[in-house]
Amino acid sequence: MMLDTVSIEPSAVIDAYKKDVDRTLIRENLKLTAEERVRKMMAVLHFADEVRRSAKVAG
Amino acid sequence: MTADFPRLLAALCTGAVEFVVIGGFAATAHGSAHVTADLDIVYRRTPENIERLAAALAPLQPYLRGAPPGLPFRFDADTIRCGLNFTLATLAGDLDVLGEATGEGTFEALVARSEARRMFDLDVRFVDLDTLIRLKRAAGRPKDLERIAELEAIREEREK
Repeated sequence: MMLDTVSIEPSAVIDAYKKDVDRTLIRENLKLTAEERVRKMMAVLHFADEVRRSAKVAG
Repeated sequence: MTADFPRLLAALCTGAVEFVVIGGFAATAHGSAHVTADLDIVYRRTPENIERLAAALAPLQPYLRGAPPGLPFRFDADTIRCGLNFTLATLAGDLDVLGEATGEGTFEALVARSEARRMFDLDVRFVDLDTLIRLKRAAGRPKDLERIAELEAIREEREK
């Protein structure tokens, strides 16, 4: 399957999912640079790691 | 383990590896709010680039992700030449190294549809947003529907 043959035309299925997309979050992300977006995601990942580590220690 | 994305990218860039970032990390760079734990790249399948890829990742001790420890696996140029796509665990986190993404997404096809972004003092090439959407659609995985919807919403927000 060539990439050019893959449609990016609207799809009813994807449109159904689109209703649940948080556009506020997207608008905030689009104000950031690519590096800032990645740093923000890494902060979330580190937080999740910390929670997992703490749960292990507590458990 | 959380991937150390700057370290992974630095290893590839300073090793002069020709690659394009795809997948969830590229989606994040484009504005996605989803979180991804690994880095997906498509590398150029030339003998020189394969040598550079093997040398660049060697210090990170790449190993087959999910495989039992102790297998006689070496991520060297011969291994890369004999294979195509590898899902690796490294000292800097998980890295998917793809010779081709679904939809005939070779390096040559994708680099023409990519854009360079400055990140962590490195110039990194990412597939453009439309191509990322096409790759996700080509993969045809139900789990990607939510991601595709978000990427299309990003495109709509950019066009406003």
